[in-house]
Amino acid sequence: MTTPLRVAHYVNQFFAGMGGEERADVGVSVREGPVGPGRALQAALGESARIVGTIVCGDNFINESPAAALPAVTAGLRELAPDVVVAGPAFGSGRYGLACGMVCRAAREAEFPAVTAMHPDNPGVAAFRREVIILPAGESATSMQPAMEGLARLVLKLGRGEALGPAEIEGYVSQGARRVWDRGRPGYQRALDMLLAKLHDRPFVSEVPFRAPDRVTPAAPVADLSRATIAMVTTGGLVRKGNPDRQVAANATRYHRHSVRDLEALTPEGWEAYHAGYFNHIVNRNPNYILPLSFLRDLEAKGRIGRVHEWMYALPGVSTPVAMARELGRGIGEDLREARVDGVLLVAT
Amino acid sequence: MISAIYTFAMTTGANRVVRGARIEHVCGDPSLGSEKDYAYGMRIVGTALQALTVAVPGPTLFDPQAEETPEAVHAS
Repeated sequence: MTTPLRVAHYVNQFFAGMGGEERADVGVSVREGPVGPGRALQAALGESARIVGTIVCGDNFINESPAAALPAVTAGLRELAPDVVVAGPAFGSGRYGLACGMVCRAAREAEFPAVTAMHPDNPGVAAFRREVIILPAGESATSMQPAMEGLARLVLKLGRGEALGPAEIEGYVSQGARRVWDRGRPGYQRALDMLLAKLHDRPFVSEVPFRAPDRVTPAAPVADLSRATIAMVTTGGLVRKGNPDRQVAANATRYHRHSVRDLEALTPEGWEAYHAGYFNHIVNRNPNYILPLSFLRDLEAKGRIGRVHEWMYALPGVSTPVAMARELGRGIGEDLREARVDGVLLVAT
Repeated sequence: MISAIYTFAMTTGANRVVRGARIEHVCGDPSLGSEKDYAYGMRIVGTALQALTVAVPGPTLFDPQAEETPEAVHAS
């Protein structure tokens, strides 16, 4: 009989039985053995692993003062010297989910394997899925049992130093990393099997999971164009002539904003396109094709629109992962909202 | 969103989609000569501004090339 694996468990103030919202600012403490849901985890682990200690922290404290909380968590972990760290499950609780993500990341940085569980819509998933092993869990603590069983299975694997298989097999949330592995049968056979299954209405699982694009609630219409401030954004890779900002031509990780306050139109002397996804020479002769300043100035002079927003935004929209595109779009959107523009023309090449 | 690949813009969830000319010259067409080029670009931009004034339930196409049919075309 081998010695049981040592497990350290992280829970928030609520699951530690200290209290709810009123105790959410409580600091980090370490307790011996399992606490609260740790007992269910211990039951799921059986004889193979033992919860040696539980680290507790208030959700507000760890989220508001991570610089104070996380070193204390790491110190607690070092003291417990676990083989594996388990955080949560956080279910649908946002602050707890983010706390579990932070704790797992801190654990990994201290070289302890770590795993957590939470609802797929928990903000902790979006924030940490790339760096933390997260098992999907239900919305609330009523799904404690299946969550603990899933966690126990991964705890044993991680604790024994076994490499985890891909997300689709192990059941954790995809981390967005691609690894080479052998599916046993060549692609054309698998593809034909899938096609046959599809034609015969049999179930099959795609190897390229489809992620439906986000649905965005349409913005309310502009009531009166003649009083509206209109901004321009382009993904056509518009840069100042010679690209002094050193923007990339693809896979952008930043956008640039430029003032058009003193411009009536974009000239080829001042602007060009730097974009790896289309032939740029036509735009280089007339950059207004991808940022319609000349047209908007015309309409502004005629009183058709109120005014052209001073700042325009540009980046090359090519080869950009969706997550990055979302982040860049959010940044531009927040800027424009703060500037209280009424409408935006986004030109996409 | 003004885009020549407007079907793509719609399937990826842009709510107000305006059909642009070509990928290489979204707002206009240099082959038309400068006057008509400008008029075409203006029609595209005008359609885009018009689109901003219309309530849409979800991805909706506004096509400046369908001159006489100001009616918007909805996705699916």
